Amino acid sequence: MRRFAIALLLSATAAWPAPYTPSDDSAVLERLPTRRGDPVMAELRQLRAALAASPSDSGTAARLAQRYFDLAMAEGDPRYVGYAEAALRPWPGDDAPAEILFTRGLLRQYRHDFASGMKDFERALQRDPGYVDARAWRAAIFMVQANYAAAARECAALEGYASELTTTGCLAYVEATTGKTRAAYDQLIAALERQSSASPGARLWTETRLAEMAWRLGEVPLAERHFSAALKLGVTDNFLLAAYADFLLEQERPKEVVALLKDWVRSDTLLLRLAIAEQRLRLPEARAHAQALAERFAAAALRGERLHMGEEARFLLDFKGDARAALAVALQNWKEQREPRDALVVLEAAAAARDAKAAAPVLQWLDDTGFESARMKRIAASLR
Amino acid sequence: MRALLFAFLLAAGSAQAHKPSDSYLTLHADGRALTGQWDIALRDLEYAIGLDSNGDGAITWGELKAKHAEIDAYVLARLALRADGATCRLQPLEHLVDEHSDGAYAVLRFAAQCPAESYQTAEVEYSLFFDLDPTHRGLLRVERGGDTTTGILSPERPKLDVSAQARSKLQQFADYVREGVWHIWIGFDHILFLVSLLLPSVFVWANRQWLPAERFRDTFWDVFKVATSFTVAHSITLSLAALSVIALPSRLVESTIALSVVLAALNNIWPLVHGRRWMVAFGFGLIHGFGFASVLADLGLPREALLLALVGFNLGVELGQLAIITVFLPPAFALRATQVYRRLVFVGGSAAIALVAALWLVERAFDVKL
Repeated sequence: MRRFAIALLLSATAAWPAPYTPSDDSAVLERLPTRRGDPVMAELRQLRAALAASPSDSGTAARLAQRYFDLAMAEGDPRYVGYAEAALRPWPGDDAPAEILFTRGLLRQYRHDFASGMKDFERALQRDPGYVDARAWRAAIFMVQANYAAAARECAALEGYASELTTTGCLAYVEATTGKTRAAYDQLIAALERQSSASPGARLWTETRLAEMAWRLGEVPLAERHFSAALKLGVTDNFLLAAYADFLLEQERPKEVVALLKDWVRSDTLLLRLAIAEQRLRLPEARAHAQALAERFAAAALRGERLHMGEEARFLLDFKGDARAALAVALQNWKEQREPRDALVVLEAAAAARDAKAAAPVLQWLDDTGFESARMKRIAASLR
Repeated sequence: MRALLFAFLLAAGSAQAHKPSDSYLTLHADGRALTGQWDIALRDLEYAIGLDSNGDGAITWGELKAKHAEIDAYVLARLALRADGATCRLQPLEHLVDEHSDGAYAVLRFAAQCPAESYQTAEVEYSLFFDLDPTHRGLLRVERGGDTTTGILSPERPKLDVSAQARSKLQQFADYVREGVWHIWIGFDHILFLVSLLLPSVFVWANRQWLPAERFRDTFWDVFKVATSFTVAHSITLSLAALSVIALPSRLVESTIALSVVLAALNNIWPLVHGRRWMVAFGFGLIHGFGFASVLADLGLPREALLLALVGFNLGVELGQLAIITVFLPPAFALRATQVYRRLVFVGGSAAIALVAALWLVERAFDVKL
């Protein structure tokens, strides 16, 4: 027995990673996301130097923080959000200049502190009523909170300050979530046609929304066309890839998902979809990718921050087959975030756990909004 | 439009490729010596003091080695350890490298030289990177003997007390024993499986029917063999699963456990196996062990006290089993020749157990609530 126990202990220790000493000086330990000659890095260095020279210059501080925030979004690296917070530290109060308030709001909503973020945006708008970005973010957060009337008010208030495409896009997004998808689609596509000079970024956003609306209306080939139009713009966008992957998975086209996402393992949201596709195809990579996801969720929990509960719920449901745990996480997520995909994971987890009662808040949401999703309505019917 | 774009695209499911900046600080505090290991991300050190000397975007071991002195000076100035209120001098011992889920980390092992020979309380004060990145966190783990506590160090809460006396090995062991007993007590499936196997122990199989055993000695040995083989079997799989050597999907495990109860109970009514029930106990005991392991995993296995936890938990399970046998066996033996036992307890009881377990089986296998 003793020998057996020792053998067990040895095999267990071998499974744990252990610190080591590299044998070779030229061994590369880490590749940095950016090189020294990178123009973005050069700009950041300049801004940092400018801020160091005049630390009380709120314009420079806000610009530096926003550059870092943009970088965090593009690279999906939350460290940059931390650097952005550091730049804003000299202005902790509510009497800060508008651009500082706006940027602080951005960082706060990123950490899901929506209440404080909203107040920051509101104060920025009090200073400068034409602060389009602050207005747009307020609309976006109201959407996440499923407060559609308030979101629509913010969209309407953009008029006169923002472009027609922006205002229409904002309103159409609200309409499409509240049971008027067809009308929203028509308005948005008309607005896009009128504004031929729209930037690639604006086009990307609009095409993605159009694709989602067409998909929701059951017009699969039309949705496909909008997705490919968005992908052809050549702007890398995490959200577009996630939306298109979801679309392909629903259309039972997992092979294309693997081709689309195989280089995106860095992103939690995309890695989850890649692993689901691999699992459906019974590819050997599915196991390692699921393991990596489990580690990332565990690391987030260790830190006491869970910013990806929607993904975590999906992971528990699709990979662990643990419907009850998935439902608990999905409901926790629903308290904070109430977008259609958050609703879907609650419904699916509740259906798998045979717990219709737990899904009541989401069924209520479905009734209140009249959200037009055949898939959600089917699951809801089975729960009622 | 840019804002709208980002807002609507990213407010909710923003894709976090990496995790935010964390360092992992492990302290070994036994009341006399105080040593530690600090894992710090190379990305963070690069931002704070610059590691990529040749600017090629890659950090090599050579570049890191050249900066070790600078790293020690920088990070150890941002960590204070106090034993009974007196500040300890931190001395670097060893530099290594490790991989965490988001990349490579420098590993610094250090010793704290404290003024006093021994101490009651220790305090950690942490400020690494807080000036550069207020979202940085120090994830603290303090190990005292086999006892581990954890904490999160942040700009809002940079100090943590790690003073509480370590629980003794004996106390920890007792905790695991108690958990083991508790689990067999609340684990009705294990109890019913055991009872199903025990019910016929007071009989002997002869002339194609169950007859009351003549001698208690025979019954005792039968019970002994069944209980021992069940114990040995589930100890094996409990250990293997707890050490992550083998992992089985919980639905499969739970369903098979339910099936084992159904079969064991039905075997009493329509006996297929009578002489060698210890083999049945062994075979299904292997599966029950996986069921126990999931409980132990939920309790969290301390790495230093793995054997302690395993043995303690197992012992607890055995004690619980022994208690059930002690309560069951004497009255069963006394009543073995009566119609009450033969019809009501033995046949009726086995049928009831089989029915309950069949319901579990359906619930677990098809994931439904009945």
